[in-house]
Amino acid sequence: MHRFQKSNKLLLFIAFGFILFLLSNRVDELRVYQGASIAVYVIAISSIILLTGYSGQVSLGHGALLAIGAYSAAVARNEFNVPVVLCFFIAVLAAAFGGVLLGVAAARLTGPYLAGATLALAIGLPSLANQFTILGGEQGLIFDVGFPPLSLGEDFTQYKWFFWISALAALISMWLLSNVLRSRFGQNWRAGRSHEVAAQLAGINTGRSKILAFTISAGVAGLSGALLSMTIGTVSPSAFPLALSFSLLTGAVLSGVTTLSGVMIGAVTLVAIPEIADVIANRIGASERITTNLPGLIVSTLLIITVLFVPHGPVEQHRSRKAKKLLQKKN
Amino acid sequence: MIQLINTLLIGITAGSIYALMAIAIVLVWRSTRVINFAQAGMALLSTYFGYEAMVHLNSFWIALPVAMIGGAAVAAFIELVFMRFLLKRSAHGAISGVAPIIATLGLLGVIRSLTSSIWGGQDVRIVGPVSNVGYSLGANTLAFSPLKLLILVTVIVLVLLLSLLFQKSNMGLSLRASAFSPEIARLSGIRVNGVRTLGWSLAGASGAVAGMFQTVNGNGSFSPDSIEFSLLLVSGFIAAVIGGLDSLVGAVIGGLVLGLVISFVLMYINSSLFFIAPFVILLIVLFVRPQGIIGAKAARRA
Repeated sequence: MHRFQKSNKLLLFIAFGFILFLLSNRVDELRVYQGASIAVYVIAISSIILLTGYSGQVSLGHGALLAIGAYSAAVARNEFNVPVVLCFFIAVLAAAFGGVLLGVAAARLTGPYLAGATLALAIGLPSLANQFTILGGEQGLIFDVGFPPLSLGEDFTQYKWFFWISALAALISMWLLSNVLRSRFGQNWRAGRSHEVAAQLAGINTGRSKILAFTISAGVAGLSGALLSMTIGTVSPSAFPLALSFSLLTGAVLSGVTTLSGVMIGAVTLVAIPEIADVIANRIGASERITTNLPGLIVSTLLIITVLFVPHGPVEQHRSRKAKKLLQKKN
Repeated sequence: MIQLINTLLIGITAGSIYALMAIAIVLVWRSTRVINFAQAGMALLSTYFGYEAMVHLNSFWIALPVAMIGGAAVAAFIELVFMRFLLKRSAHGAISGVAPIIATLGLLGVIRSLTSSIWGGQDVRIVGPVSNVGYSLGANTLAFSPLKLLILVTVIVLVLLLSLLFQKSNMGLSLRASAFSPEIARLSGIRVNGVRTLGWSLAGASGAVAGMFQTVNGNGSFSPDSIEFSLLLVSGFIAAVIGGLDSLVGAVIGGLVLGLVISFVLMYINSSLFFIAPFVILLIVLFVRPQGIIGAKAARRA
């Protein structure tokens, strides 16, 4: 496993951002919009990787945390006219607060119990949004970040503006997360996941460390929720169905939950699946009811196949194969 | 007074259906130590089997066994070709703890989207064999109909049959032995793998009955996007956890407790708490008595 020097890694992120910037000027509108979706999914999936792969907790309720972020950003924007940048920070803070509450509960639960509890939350929470008039009921709220600044030129489109915002947010949060995961906290999480008792004997407060993981993961999820509602333009209960939580989990498993470096794989796949499903449906001339259900079918099938055959994700698989080859050479 | 009685009756009927779902979860947990989040999906599929039988043969009493047999077959198939393979492959490694959870969720997604693409997303209707108009008590109408009585009686009969099977038959003995310790059971000559498949198919049948009754007890319609389905998805798990995951009696008690609490919350507090109430109950139980009402102290560790 090679490690970059910190400054080198920062340069790498900046270079990647620059490439994205060049790309965004060359591709058409649809691709730019998909790019924005990929950036949003990258953030959401990395929050699940942090939680599941590093600290070993399963959450099926991340859709609910995304919803918290999206709603709080929209309320801050509509009711209090907060600047857009601050809205995103508010989304992070609100979702992180929800994450603390959930994390305190989660730290006392193990595996299937936590999964079931968060599942119940994911089903329950969005329906609560209908109860408060400030949240706009079934129609939801409008979340408008405004037009791109004029200084960017006349023909700078709205979608490109979305892409810039979400790609920048994704780059910054990836940079921060990769550092957090390498830090003492990241090591504590992994220790607690591998062997809780051993970690405790080594002086790690595993309960507190789990709550911290949940909080950070929730904050990141909140950011992606706010960005998601930015690209859609509205926030409503139906934008955060149980299927969203499931597809995020699928994205995380596809990327390989034990490492952050594969996160693009999952995000690109999630965005590509509807298109692939379209192509397949056209090719076989499927009826409408099959066409609408094909994306869901592909997502779930991929999830099962990955869990069965590449449980640690393609990146880790590649790494361990390389390590094996090296060993054989030495012998 | 009449409102109190009605709330109780509604709660008990709904609770008996949740109890069936909980029994399904418990049966699978005892046989493979996996929480089957796909159980509701399997119940959905079996309900559609029952619906097909209703359409072609027009009798609820044929549709119910068809759904049960179909559910058992699907469950056995899943255990044979899928769970065995999964448990063998994901026995170790960093995500061994979460792999079965994720896999059953994937299964839920597959079953759900398959069902919607075969039958379409629309509601299907299943008419109960007897009327769902409440008995009248003096001037009041009770929230208890011949249909609800039938559901209650059927559930009681099924639970009694199941406990007879577990307590009095050789098959039940091997089921209990494999749940207690697979290794020792194997040493004493029990085919643990076969017993696991049996546990799954019993669970599939039990879930099928829950799906059929949930449909006729509601407004008679059912679809993958309906409230009835979401309710089955969480209620079985929550009721099983309340009961301690390891005991059939606990599952029945858990189902009844859940049904009664939801019914009282709806009637006396606020109907919008419909979905958040089960979550709160679950958290309270997990904090106050994590081993469940009946479960042994060690149940949570397994």
